[in-house]
Amino acid sequence: MRLGAWILLALAAPAWAGEDDDLGLLPQSSPTAVPRSAPTAATSRLFVENAATFSSVRGGLLVPAPPPFTPRWEERLLADARIEWPVATNAHMTYSGRLNLMVQDGLGFPNRGNVTNDLRELYASVEPRDRTYVDAGRINLKSGVALGFNPTDFFKARAVIDPLTSDPSALREDRLGSAMVRAQRVGEASSIMVAYAPKVTDPAAIASDPDRGFNPLWGRTNGTERWLVKASAQLGDGVNPEVLAFHENGRWKFGANIAESVGQKSVVYLEWSGGKRLGIADEAFAFGRATGTIPSGAPIPITQGGDERFRNQVAVGASYTNESKVTFNLEYHYNGAGFSRSDWGRWFSAGEGEPNSSPVARELWYVRAYASDRQEPIQRHTVFLRADWVDAFVPKLDLTGFVLADARDGSTLWQAEANYAKTDLWSFGVLAGGTTGGRRSNFGSLPRGGSVVVKATRYF
Amino acid sequence: MFKRAAVILGLLAAVLASSAFAQSAQEIVAATDKVRNAAQPFRSALTLTEYVAGQERAHSGFVLFSKEDGGGHFRNLLQYVEPPRDAGKRVLLDGRSFWFFDPASQASVRISAQQRLTGQAAIGDVLTVNLAADYSAAIAGIETIDDAGRQKRTCWHLELKAATDTAVYNRVEYWVEQGTFRPVKGKFYSDSGRLLKIIYFRNFTERLGAVRPAEAVIIDAVDSSLATIATFGDSRFQDVPDAWFQRDFLPRLQIR
Repeated sequence: MRLGAWILLALAAPAWAGEDDDLGLLPQSSPTAVPRSAPTAATSRLFVENAATFSSVRGGLLVPAPPPFTPRWEERLLADARIEWPVATNAHMTYSGRLNLMVQDGLGFPNRGNVTNDLRELYASVEPRDRTYVDAGRINLKSGVALGFNPTDFFKARAVIDPLTSDPSALREDRLGSAMVRAQRVGEASSIMVAYAPKVTDPAAIASDPDRGFNPLWGRTNGTERWLVKASAQLGDGVNPEVLAFHENGRWKFGANIAESVGQKSVVYLEWSGGKRLGIADEAFAFGRATGTIPSGAPIPITQGGDERFRNQVAVGASYTNESKVTFNLEYHYNGAGFSRSDWGRWFSAGEGEPNSSPVARELWYVRAYASDRQEPIQRHTVFLRADWVDAFVPKLDLTGFVLADARDGSTLWQAEANYAKTDLWSFGVLAGGTTGGRRSNFGSLPRGGSVVVKATRYF
Repeated sequence: MFKRAAVILGLLAAVLASSAFAQSAQEIVAATDKVRNAAQPFRSALTLTEYVAGQERAHSGFVLFSKEDGGGHFRNLLQYVEPPRDAGKRVLLDGRSFWFFDPASQASVRISAQQRLTGQAAIGDVLTVNLAADYSAAIAGIETIDDAGRQKRTCWHLELKAATDTAVYNRVEYWVEQGTFRPVKGKFYSDSGRLLKIIYFRNFTERLGAVRPAEAVIIDAVDSSLATIATFGDSRFQDVPDAWFQRDFLPRLQIR
């Protein structure tokens, strides 16, 4: 050892020239920014965005789609705000909303649809004891660990309005909360939460709400009375499962989700929910009758058997991130209430050759609008692949893409997006999306063929 | 005369060398970890200034809550303060448990150790890591190198190998100043042996009860035109309950 030390000492003599070459890589100027300890008042995210959308319409549909027709272009200027501000040492308020100025193919100008306001959240939070919380107001309550489909996200139904993207993992940002009271206790290694969302008004009919103006749309978010209880526990080494029980319209649904790291680069996750319910078509027609969209005596073009039974929804998947900052998520989604192969057969057979003004075509497309409104896949088996590349080619350029494929017929919904943060305050993005598949396939039978969105965002 | 001086110098060097190796490499790493990190829970403001080809390009700001667990690892909770597009986002970095929370979607997403490195918040985690807990160290030599201010520093050159599956990098070369145990420089390598980052520690000032580096300059070795200066400020001891380090607390974090 001592001989080794002698040798090392001799080597240590002057500077270590090779190492000192690295000093040439140091920035020569000092940073102009200084560390900020914390926001002293509100935590906020404010931005103004301009988005122009151009869409192509697919012709020759096997089952023609009734109006309203897909707009070929849309120009939207929006102001988006999310603000949390303290009102006492143990209380704060949260506001989240979006004001849209919109002109659109077929919408006309001026009319009520040109200016709309989405009141996403407005609620008060109090912490009466350490880590015991009570919240009241309009709250966006989110659950789940998957990206493409969240079976345990019970409050997602009917909450998404006028999204600029089809990316399921981004849709959560543009959704309305529900009026509710929520209590939560976060323990040392566990949490329990109870939420109660009362029925405020009758459920609103499914419609595109183009002239909603400043209507808070309580009929979408609080048309029924709902309870949610969820609990999670830290079981050691990062294992953090969550169990949920949800009550709506006299029926219980149960759910669970868990996500776990595998090695350095992967996460695997599983999300499940189940409860007694109808198939999605039967449920849609029942809802359509209850809300007056479908006349009570109108014949129903298809049925999934009309039986109410225990049905499961599952999302299972894994993420993988490589050293080039690309993260892949691959998921399989199962919806036990969704369309089987024979259900699709009935859907196409019932509507084939019908004019788009016929009640049959309207009712068939109503089923699909209902599934979309509830953020639920209409198909039974789905494969979802998403890739997200951070700092692609140049710093601050993010590329994101996904493909959502119906495992029955191979038809797809896809989207690719590039976002470049030019400065701390300005971002620019372009997004292209579309559907592929044959005329008798799930996504190939949709009226919207493809779309392109160009957007610029200024943050404040 | 010269012969006598050489003998004296030789003896002196032998004494120095033997005292240098009296401390094991692992003890040196543990000692330099203590220079970077306080043993008590603390919060700190962290600003990252990104440079491209020597020009300031972007800024990120965080509030960092940090606490050592029983096993020598640091548990970190960060909230973005800047840039405006990211304000309010939170990241939980706790051993093998990593969660990202976005208040806009109210969604908590579990991320892998590798995915954590795609975000700037990971720099906070890397800077507070206790290397002694995750790496086995050996002394590769004693070298005199220039620090970030081009001052000569006589350092232990340490070779660190990942010893746990929570280690972020497979291999680290680390230079620690003899006597003060101040970290001077680190080189961080991937599993494949690729040099990923070079970090210089500088601006040693009184912080959290000791003299610690207030700045780290992080050079992207893959694209050497990219560099980030991480600056710690407003550091203070603060109780950070264990309950904060779980996904259900992330939406509840309030910075006051």
